[in-house]
Amino acid sequence: MTATIRTRMGDGHAVALSRDDLRRDLVDGSQEAARRAKIPVLDGADIDHLAEIFAYPGRIAGVEPGHEVVLTKDGCANTLYGGQMSSGVGIPLAREQGVRLMERAFGFDTMEIGHPDYSFKPAKPLVALEQLCMAQAQLDCVVPLFYGAMPNMGLYFRPDGPFANPADLLPDGRIEEARAAQLEAAARLRDDILYVSRAMDEVGADGIDIDTTASAGDAEFLATLQAVEELATHTDLAIEVGMATELVLGFHGELDYKGRRLAGLWPHQQLAVVEQAGAHLFGPAITTKTNKSVPWNVARACTFVKECSRVAEIPIHANVGMGVGGVPTVEVQPNDVVTRVGVALVEIGRADGL
Amino acid sequence: MPDQFTQLREVVIIGDGEAAKRLTAEMLEVGVAPREILEAALLPGMDVVGARMRSGECFIPEVLLSARTMQGALELLKPHLAEGESAGLGTVVIGTVEGDLHDIGKNLVAMMLEGAGFGVVNLGTSVTPERFVAAVKEHRPVILGMSALLTTTLPKMRETIGALREAGLRDSVKVMAGGAPVTLSYAEELGADGYSANAAMAVETAKGLIRKA
Repeated sequence: MTATIRTRMGDGHAVALSRDDLRRDLVDGSQEAARRAKIPVLDGADIDHLAEIFAYPGRIAGVEPGHEVVLTKDGCANTLYGGQMSSGVGIPLAREQGVRLMERAFGFDTMEIGHPDYSFKPAKPLVALEQLCMAQAQLDCVVPLFYGAMPNMGLYFRPDGPFANPADLLPDGRIEEARAAQLEAAARLRDDILYVSRAMDEVGADGIDIDTTASAGDAEFLATLQAVEELATHTDLAIEVGMATELVLGFHGELDYKGRRLAGLWPHQQLAVVEQAGAHLFGPAITTKTNKSVPWNVARACTFVKECSRVAEIPIHANVGMGVGGVPTVEVQPNDVVTRVGVALVEIGRADGL
Repeated sequence: MPDQFTQLREVVIIGDGEAAKRLTAEMLEVGVAPREILEAALLPGMDVVGARMRSGECFIPEVLLSARTMQGALELLKPHLAEGESAGLGTVVIGTVEGDLHDIGKNLVAMMLEGAGFGVVNLGTSVTPERFVAAVKEHRPVILGMSALLTTTLPKMRETIGALREAGLRDSVKVMAGGAPVTLSYAEELGADGYSANAAMAVETAKGLIRKA
């Protein structure tokens, strides 16, 4: 038995922890999540299992047989042909080739096609081209294909969009104007999500993944929920809502969805409104703290995800990527910790997919 | 029915400016001491708002509404305070350091400090060490706040602290440093007295510094 456990910090730096330090970090991380979201801490058996996952000496960790879950890929081929600034590896290939690689070489169970800019707003004027790509990919693939994009409501504010920027208005004390601008942007965003999603539905997309939701706060979340409600009612699309954040920020502050205030919602509470809107999959996103160890971050993420899984009526597909879910914030992900994050979120967080 | 202190505290928390002015005026009219109104209603109200922001229960727009409410009530109190008596927690001089034109975060901090009961002298952006020193001489603040967004302008914070020292003013004022690239360890290395990672914590840090002083 080794005296120390090699792991990493949330910024990717290698670090060696004693067994006592490892256990302390696991307990502290879980307690921090529980205190913030007022949810249960991980129990002793969970902490023991997490300690085993991190103490296992192999470089790569995997779930026990029978615990395998659905793996999906956001952005999909973007990760192959995108540059490093987009977390890609810069391989010159077309999206259609990338999708086939993801399915046939890497074994993903579902995936999505997305515009290189990966937001609904820039996808809208090119939606006819996006439809062609989706239609061709549907012919090429067996796995279910989503169309994926981010609401990214920041693109609707000046200088990128037509509406006054709340980040300029709020520091001037123009609170009512800042709130009004967010509502205008949210209405336009909702329309764009619907426009692109309906176009994808027309060409046979299996689903729509609304990814990194609420990055611009509660108004963006509201626009997404309204779009989800409309799509769930009038299309057969499978709808995934992936979150941008563990806490919905109240850049507006007074918005509600069917009586539930959106600002300040933690993952299990976000799930409740996402379910209410009619979505079929939920992707909680737990922020990684770079100055804490990966075990601390993973225990924290598992505490949030386990509570989601406990109360969920729809599958939970936890976000695992740079800076979320306990994965370090570093461009090239070290397999030693990423695989442990995956195992932990499935076996402790009870996630249905990643 | 809650007493007037409780009512005033509650309207500060929810950011109802009109109600705050009405209640403050009524309390002054019946002879309640302005200092008591400040310390037993307005400041405790803002303390609740700050705590809620830290716990993720309320956010910047609501904090700003409460700050504006507090300011409106303070304006009514000021004429009734004894000469030389501070209307709040003292003065903060704040600015973005020389070469840096970013002011969103700094202005948010300024508004929230005002809302918490500090008087704020906002020097704007690209403030030279000499202007900071002159403002400290003129306004005699309890705290000097420096902000920077660019890593290239961070050294100006150190220069400003050096200029305060050369002018013999360093021990007369607490120095706070903030801005996206600033960290606690950097602030300590600079010789600042306080650092905060966000606007809400800046208020708490400022209050902590004046309690220590």
